[in-house]
Amino acid sequence: MSILTYIVGLPLLAAIVLAFVPRNFAVIMRFVAIVATLISAVLAIVMFARFQTNTAGYQFEQQIDWVRTLGISYHVGVDGINVGLVLMGAIVGFAAACCSWEIRSREKEFYILLLVMTGGILGAFASLDLFFFYFFHEFALVPTFIMIGLWGRGERKNYATFQITLYLSVGALIALIGLIALYTQSGANTFDIPKLTEYVRANPLSVSAQHFIFPLLLFGFGILVSLWPFHTWAPLGYGSAPTPTAMLHAGVLKKFGLYGLIRVALPLMPQAAQHWMQAIAWLALGNLVYCGWVAMRQKNFNRLIGYSSVAHMGFVFLGIATLSLVGITGAVLVMIAHGFLAALTFALSGYLYQQTGTLEIKELGGLLRKLPFIGTALVIAAFAGCGLPGFANFVGEVTVLFGAWSVPTFRVITVLACWGALIIGAIYMLRAVRNILQADLPAKWAGVTDAHLWRKLPFALLIACLLVFGCFPRLLTEKLRDPVSAIVQMANPVLAPTQPTATVQVDRINQSILTSTATK
Amino acid sequence: MHLNFLPWIILFLPLAAAAVITLFTLRNRQVSATLSVGAVVAGFILSVIFVKVAGWQPAVSEVAVNWLSVGPLQAGGGSLQVDFGLHLDALSLAMMLIVTGVASLIHIYSMGYMHDDPSYSRFFACLSLFTFSMLGIVLSNNFLQLFIFWELVGVSSYLLIGFWYGKASAADAAKKAFITNRLGDFGFILGILLIWGIFQSLNFVSIQQRLPEILNTHGGFIPPGSLPFGTTLTIAGLLIFCGAAGKSAQFPLHVWLPDAMEGPTPVSALIHAATMVAAGVYMLCRVFFLLNDDALQVIAYIGGFTALLAALIAVQQNDIKRILAYSTLSQLGYMVMAVGLKGPPAAMYHLTTHAFFKALLFLGAGSVILGMHHEQDIWNMGALRKKMPVTFWTFMVGTLALAGLWPFSGFFSKDAIIGQAFGQHNYILFGVGVFVAMLTSFYMFRLMLVVFYGSTKSDDAGHAHESPGVITWPLRILAICSIFAGGFVAVENIYLKQFPSETTEEAASFAHHLFEPFIAAPAAALSGLGALALGFIAAYALYAKADKDPLPEKLGGLSRAMRNRFYFDELYDATVIRLHNTLAAIAGGIDWCIENVFIGFIRGGTDFAGRGLRLVQTGNLQTYAFLFALGAALVLYLVLGK
Repeated sequence: MSILTYIVGLPLLAAIVLAFVPRNFAVIMRFVAIVATLISAVLAIVMFARFQTNTAGYQFEQQIDWVRTLGISYHVGVDGINVGLVLMGAIVGFAAACCSWEIRSREKEFYILLLVMTGGILGAFASLDLFFFYFFHEFALVPTFIMIGLWGRGERKNYATFQITLYLSVGALIALIGLIALYTQSGANTFDIPKLTEYVRANPLSVSAQHFIFPLLLFGFGILVSLWPFHTWAPLGYGSAPTPTAMLHAGVLKKFGLYGLIRVALPLMPQAAQHWMQAIAWLALGNLVYCGWVAMRQKNFNRLIGYSSVAHMGFVFLGIATLSLVGITGAVLVMIAHGFLAALTFALSGYLYQQTGTLEIKELGGLLRKLPFIGTALVIAAFAGCGLPGFANFVGEVTVLFGAWSVPTFRVITVLACWGALIIGAIYMLRAVRNILQADLPAKWAGVTDAHLWRKLPFALLIACLLVFGCFPRLLTEKLRDPVSAIVQMANPVLAPTQPTATVQVDRINQSILTSTATK
Repeated sequence: MHLNFLPWIILFLPLAAAAVITLFTLRNRQVSATLSVGAVVAGFILSVIFVKVAGWQPAVSEVAVNWLSVGPLQAGGGSLQVDFGLHLDALSLAMMLIVTGVASLIHIYSMGYMHDDPSYSRFFACLSLFTFSMLGIVLSNNFLQLFIFWELVGVSSYLLIGFWYGKASAADAAKKAFITNRLGDFGFILGILLIWGIFQSLNFVSIQQRLPEILNTHGGFIPPGSLPFGTTLTIAGLLIFCGAAGKSAQFPLHVWLPDAMEGPTPVSALIHAATMVAAGVYMLCRVFFLLNDDALQVIAYIGGFTALLAALIAVQQNDIKRILAYSTLSQLGYMVMAVGLKGPPAAMYHLTTHAFFKALLFLGAGSVILGMHHEQDIWNMGALRKKMPVTFWTFMVGTLALAGLWPFSGFFSKDAIIGQAFGQHNYILFGVGVFVAMLTSFYMFRLMLVVFYGSTKSDDAGHAHESPGVITWPLRILAICSIFAGGFVAVENIYLKQFPSETTEEAASFAHHLFEPFIAAPAAALSGLGALALGFIAAYALYAKADKDPLPEKLGGLSRAMRNRFYFDELYDATVIRLHNTLAAIAGGIDWCIENVFIGFIRGGTDFAGRGLRLVQTGNLQTYAFLFALGAALVLYLVLGK
């Protein structure tokens, strides 16, 4: 049994166990959920630490045939791309379980759904089989809707549930059509991603098929990731979602679509990807700049961080659109960094909501005096969100910007993206810090209390992760080099023929350097 | 002896102190202060040892580890390699000494100044974080690392300006400072991207080595069809300068610095006078090789304009810290102008002396503020000369140094800049330099006369008292530095090692250096001194016995404009900020429509269609039969009719 099966299976197993616990024992359920996700997270850390950097292919693999005639098998494994995502997902899953104390009704159903969601997310990222990849995603998605509907907050809870269900179901459906079309068009008769990739490398898809399938995957996955202009479900949904759901969805589950684009769409449909890259970059700008502007206008903190999380997705799309090693590496770094960050900010806003019962910014103020720990964590999250070096987000964002700059047609886009990243992000984040934490403390919040002892744990853990990957990015970039190179080479079939000229140019420069030094 | 590990220790000691304080000793004030002060003082001592042993130009000038590495692809293609490294040369070592030295004194001073503050430990944690970031800027060996520490300095400045976050004005000032700096950084990162695009490298040394080769190889064009290489380089230089303009508060990004005075006074002294704001000038000197003539021209005029603008505003300010803040702006303008006039040694020279005397002035102002029980309006002070003798005498030294009296340090460094303008035959900037020197002398003596002379203007001024030793001793040490750092010690020679010039030879003897300005460029030196005298006479005539400012009556509208800082804040509010907010409002409106109207339309439309289609299901067999026949007829017509 691969360690991955344990990582994915433990939360699901715990969900089954919880089904047999009488509903009065809320403490036990909480305990089981935390322990299961903790073990899962520890195993993920072990896996990450034992990951071999310089070996090709997938590691910690396990494959069990399921429907042989259709080529469906349970196949899990990690390479440099999803090893970080699984790690991030497992840690956020643990943090989300810790942050579930705000749930005070129907705890049994809640913890079961939470564990199913965690297991589903981890399964989706660990799977190397398209069928299970999609299946696990749906497994995680459906509990999201139920959790928002039942444990959500605010007056617009029902509308939010309606809209998020509508959007994400449509998105998932479009992506499903695309995946099935891919399966039939490839003719490989397998759902296995490595086999499919090998097959398509030898027998490329016809260009017309690519042009049909790629938009389906782009927009299907795009809707799931709140690609502009299909983003309005995200702030609305996250604004109404209970804290752990928002943490898991905004942090981890949302990255499924991006992962799908990188893993499936780019390498299998290179011509279509080339065709769409300019459009994706402009749409990414919609996320980065437009959604940043909208975030500036938000009066509710949860909606603000919802829009901020939408805006951050722009970096990932921009990185993907470059189809270059630097850009896609940056995109994956942003995915992982944003997972920790989104979980952190939603956990913090959840804590504030629990203490004050409101997230309307004008109601709050001066809270740093009362909440030194939570307030400091919020300042840290705000700075990480506007790309402060030292946090993982900076590394990812700056790598994406370097990647985008090296594409000549993306110059204007890069300039605008920098504006979104450096200016707009700073404006809304610091404005929120100013209005929530600083200046005068309204008398009504004199009674709020800071997080103490073990309740600090999830926040401290997430901040520590941001710092570790922010200060030592090589932990990820070393792992990413080979798999991303492979994807980039498949996604750029034109790369090989143009390469010699580039080398010649370099050689000419080198020669001139040599001659100039020789003449000296 | 291999001492290459020393700079690493110097760099990371303050970070370690900040981390330990934040994590463990927030409750223990004494331990926190000791850790923070110990880290920076140890850093200073180690810096001195390192320079003594390794010299100003160490044999191993660069140590680095790989920090971020992407690619390259096996088939070629883009790769991104970023080092974390230290660049050790005369420029960075001298700056390291200044930063650790001035920071040590200000840390010690803070132990006294912040003594009664409940967040004592947090203050020292932030101060240590700042010292770490500043040292990082100084020692960086590549552009991205510089940018990283650039941002970290920005955030430490944010934390320290907003240290008293309960005050709305402090919180707003912190936010404004950070965002204005970010505007500069926006240009900076674009400049870095542009340079990376040309050179495929971020390392200063390798860029410098490749620059002439690329200039030759491409014959002026890179790649074919794009802008001429020279233009690209100008743009890159100006974009990089944007970053410097943000941090060094040059026009048009100067608006944040005066507001930053909301922070505690030691912060104003360390960050917003001596070190951080000088980072922009330092960075320009570091990348001087990249700046071509066109870019330098723009930089010089922006520097000169800032110097003039800020000096004019300073004349009509009444808050003791704001006067010094505008004075800082003005002096930074001098330094930037010097870089633009191809005189990095002069700029660094003035940076060094300015670090001493401006830190001294700010700390002196802090001592006055403390003695006056947190009163900052100079028109409520008066006759403090006898009540606070040490503060008075040291403040006097600072004033004379800033005004540029021979043989105080400020004279030599300012003369170097004015002489540079004269030597470059740029008589406009030479005139600006001299005129600003006069204004400087005017507003500084105005401050001296109103605060320390004349009559007691409030009760607090009557009860003022001298500050304790932990505050006055740093003042004394800085006063000594302010006198001797110029003509006596010849700091400039250190920088001339880095930027050897054909005109200025190293002054041989002590006396030679002391009188050298009068021999080398008598016009500059004498006009500088003349300006000083003129400013002093004007200030004495107006303010020696004044109880309120006579200038507003004499100058009218001009004085009002000066006091209101020429309405730059209002101008920005009405234009840039409003435009950006309008765009945000439009985006917000559209999004509201998508969220509510569009989705509502889909829902309503589905609903409506359902209701409409329900009507068709009448249950009446004849209707169904009729519709069926109609449909069949239609199909037949379509299939067969053509």
